[in-house]
Amino acid sequence: MASLPDEKFMERIADAVELSELEQMPTRLKARLYSALVLRQAETGPLMSLTETSVRGHELCVFEQLVQVAPLGERAKSLNICRVCHARVLAEHMENAPIYWNGCPYVEFKKP
Amino acid sequence: MNPPEQQPFDERQAFSSPTAEDLELVAGVLRKDRKATAEFVARYADGLYCYMRSRLAPRYEQVDDLVQEVFLTAWQSLCQYRGTGSLQAWVTGIARHKVEDYYRERLRAPESIEDADLGPGASTSVPEIHQLLEHDQLRKNTQRVLAALPEQYRLALIWRYWDRASAREMALKTGKTEKAMERLLARARAEFRERWNHGQSS
Repeated sequence: MASLPDEKFMERIADAVELSELEQMPTRLKARLYSALVLRQAETGPLMSLTETSVRGHELCVFEQLVQVAPLGERAKSLNICRVCHARVLAEHMENAPIYWNGCPYVEFKKP
Repeated sequence: MNPPEQQPFDERQAFSSPTAEDLELVAGVLRKDRKATAEFVARYADGLYCYMRSRLAPRYEQVDDLVQEVFLTAWQSLCQYRGTGSLQAWVTGIARHKVEDYYRERLRAPESIEDADLGPGASTSVPEIHQLLEHDQLRKNTQRVLAALPEQYRLALIWRYWDRASAREMALKTGKTEKAMERLLARARAEFRERWNHGQSS
C-alpha cells in the first residue's frame, strides 16, 4: 500500500470497505415517514376503504375495526383516520412509543 | 406486515429481478392501501437510512429529510415502475439521485478549503492493510478519516470511489471543468492519505 499512487490507494480502500452500516431507522422517523406518505395519498383522493383492506386479508387495528363495522358509508371508511389517533401522535414523537395494538402500522414499525 | 431481516443495503441488487411480492406491493401502494404503504416503509426505511447516513456522514442533519424525499418521490413515481428490476433497486436508484443532487449542490459552492500542498502521500511506515488490520478496523479507519476531511473532499471521494462516478460525470453535474474536478479529487486523495498515514503512525 505504501508505494501505491493515491489513485490506486483510494480504489483499494473503496473496494475493501463498504460504507453502509447496519443501523435501524428510529421508529419515530418511520412513523413520520408513513404519516407523510398516507397524508399525500389522502390529498389526492380517498384511501382504499377499510372494508376492502380487510377483504384483502390485512389486519385492522381496533380503531379501524370500529370504523369498519360502524354503519357508515364507504367514503367515511376511506378517510385517513390515523390523523385523529393518539397512537400516531405518540409514535411520531417518542422512540418505541408505548402503543401495542395489533394491526397498527405504528406498532409494526417498532418490530426489529 | 413482515419486514425482512435487515441486510446491508446492496446496490448490486440493481440487477436483480422483481419478485411477485414487489409487484403486489407496488399495486397495493398505488391502490392507496394503507397497509401496503406501511409495508413499503417498513421494507425500505432501514436500508435507505443506512445508505444515506453512509453517504452524508458525519453531517447527519440532512439524512431524515433526504430519506423522506426519497419515499415521497418514489410514491409519486411508482406508477412508472415497470418491474424491469427489483423494487429495491428502483428505490435505490432514486436514493442515488437524491445523494447526487446533494453532492452537486455542495460541490458547486466555491471551495472554502486551502489547497493542501501535499506530496504523493507515500509513507514508508504504512503497512499492507490486509496484513495488519481486520476488516472492521479498516472500515472504522476509513469512516474516521472521511469524517475528518473537509466536506468537499469527503463528498468528492465518496462520489468518485464508492458511488463510482467518473470525474467527467462529476464535473458535468457540478458545472466545474473536468480539470478542476481532477484537481479537487487529487487534493482530496492526498488529504485522505495524509490523514490515514497519520492515524496509522499515531
